[in-house]
Amino acid sequence: MTQTVRAAADESVDVRLTVNGTPAVVHVQPRVTLADTLREQLGLTGTHLGCEHGVCGMCTVLVDGEAARSCLLFAVQCEGADVVTVEGLGTPDAQHPLQQAFSHHHALQCGFCTPGFLMSAYDLLAHRTDVQPDELPEELSGVLCRCTGYRNIVAAVADVAAACPEGVPEPGNLGERTLVGRRAGDMTHHAPERSEQEASRAPERVAVPSGTPTTRVDVSARMTSPVEKVWDVLGDVERLAPCLPGAEVTEAIGEDRYRGRARVSLGPIRLVFNGVAQVIERDADRRLLHVVGQGADAGGSRTQADMRIVVYEADDGTTLHAEADLYLSGRIAQFGRALAGDVSRRMFEDFAAALDEAAATGSAPARRRAGLRLAVGAALAGIGGVVRRLALRVRSEVRRTS
Amino acid sequence: MKAAPFAYVRPATVADAVAALAETGGDGKVLAGGQSLVPVLAMRLGRPGTLVDVNAIAGLDELATTDVGLRVGAAVRQRRLEHEPAARAVPLLGMALPFVGHRELRSRGTVCGSLAHADPAAELPAVACCLNATLDVTGRRGNRTVPAPEFFTGAMTTVLEPDELLTAVTFPLARAGEGFGFAEVARRHGDFALAGVVTRVRVTDGVVAEAVLAAFGVSDRPVVRDVTDVVRAHGTETGALRDPMNQFAADVVDTAGDAHGSTAYRRRLFAALAARELAAAYRKGSETQ
Repeated sequence: MTQTVRAAADESVDVRLTVNGTPAVVHVQPRVTLADTLREQLGLTGTHLGCEHGVCGMCTVLVDGEAARSCLLFAVQCEGADVVTVEGLGTPDAQHPLQQAFSHHHALQCGFCTPGFLMSAYDLLAHRTDVQPDELPEELSGVLCRCTGYRNIVAAVADVAAACPEGVPEPGNLGERTLVGRRAGDMTHHAPERSEQEASRAPERVAVPSGTPTTRVDVSARMTSPVEKVWDVLGDVERLAPCLPGAEVTEAIGEDRYRGRARVSLGPIRLVFNGVAQVIERDADRRLLHVVGQGADAGGSRTQADMRIVVYEADDGTTLHAEADLYLSGRIAQFGRALAGDVSRRMFEDFAAALDEAAATGSAPARRRAGLRLAVGAALAGIGGVVRRLALRVRSEVRRTS
Repeated sequence: MKAAPFAYVRPATVADAVAALAETGGDGKVLAGGQSLVPVLAMRLGRPGTLVDVNAIAGLDELATTDVGLRVGAAVRQRRLEHEPAARAVPLLGMALPFVGHRELRSRGTVCGSLAHADPAAELPAVACCLNATLDVTGRRGNRTVPAPEFFTGAMTTVLEPDELLTAVTFPLARAGEGFGFAEVARRHGDFALAGVVTRVRVTDGVVAEAVLAAFGVSDRPVVRDVTDVVRAHGTETGALRDPMNQFAADVVDTAGDAHGSTAYRRRLFAALAARELAAAYRKGSETQ
């Protein structure tokens, strides 16, 4: 760095940093802390805020490999920094040993201090393999627990220290993925808000996500049309796109990349994702289509998908099989994996039905309202649970329109 | 708890930093680790118009042993110094640094920042005073070097002018026959001390050649006393030093009492710690002659 960097008090500047293995650019005024940036701009709400002046330790994250209070660092100071938050430590399916030990020892009551303790304990054990159990109360004194669950916390960390004499394993959930938050713009109202369109502007390039997905969908559907006809539709974006529930292609931008929009409507939730999809593999022999896509909603929800669709001839007809890794962040991630998985499966069923219809008629299916589309899928699936959900859905539609 | 708006400048050289501070006309503050400054901003106890971030200045992260001592640049973190092998030549740093806040604060907090912030209850200013460390200061009118005991002029007040930057501190290396003591009493680990002492005793041929005491948390700045005569007169055992330290306490401890301890309690605390750590420093000094 050889030049003076300046930002006026009401000026937002771009700061480039790496968060949980993902390069990120945030747009912040000087007074915005790293903690607020992680939570508000990058959607990483695992980092908690307690006192906001460096006493309680809730907001502890790793900055360049060492634990630090993210409320005592301004984001503008973090140019080039490597930040790891509790989200990077492990995944629900592959928890970090510290997370497992906290669970085993019930080292949390309300859970508010847990992210801080996990990151502080990780920092301790990552830098000291010789830490003794009687040192732990002092070593962990940088984070407060107001449920007074210290004994269990100390026991959990002692367990991991004893189990990992060679050092604690690295954080297990670092990788390139979408990171992004609740509000796409700057967090202070002094700055001009970026327009919704700009905030959710579709990127030109599609990153193939890595890391552990929010949810994984693995579904098959039986179809009535012959395999070749289905594959024909899969190979024709013009006809394929209308089969995707709520999706439309707005522009082909070359290299088998497409800009488009996807609407998701679920109860009170309405999201419109502007995004880009890219076909990265078309294998005519195996009849496999590999597509990655990513989209952002103006509200700051983001999604990425890595999807493989294959159609094949089974004993009793055509089968469509899809495996999709879905990555959700921002507000939408708060739904949790189960709901995201349920919704995705339902959308796939709709997709399969529409695809079957397109293959049979040779044309794109007529565009229908998303709600109706779900109804068709439900009828085809003929599952009681789906019908019940549909009934709920119809009620909410009625409320919405009345 | 959000800081009021401030402009941000991250200069690349000391000269640019000094110019940036001068430009603010006294309304600027230096931001190094920020571990004391940012809470002040968050609570809006301070609202500087500009923060001058010195972390990117080339050379300020210097940590080097010179013929004068261990030179610690303004961007050197406390935690780095804590684990720096070269810092073992200044034993007091290893004794005091674990008491500076918590590990999570030391990973960002700087040594020079702690000195420039000049909290009366902070450990490092007392260490610097006890060792007679020298502080390098750069301003528009040039460079100057200030001995630590002359640097602190009151609670959170130093001789630094608004456009001056503390660029480095040099701690003298331990000499043969020098022993050190450090102790503090705080309500919780990592809290500011109710009272703390730093001691240095140099022993030559079994005789006390020099004994220096610095106390913190007991006044509006570190209190340094040459106690060579006291130690020579009363001996080097904790018990023998307790009485003279009790008498000393009235002079050294002038902080008002608070909910955590009265003035009288802090005087007893000081006397007990001072007697013990002077004796300990003498013992260690005798071993290293």
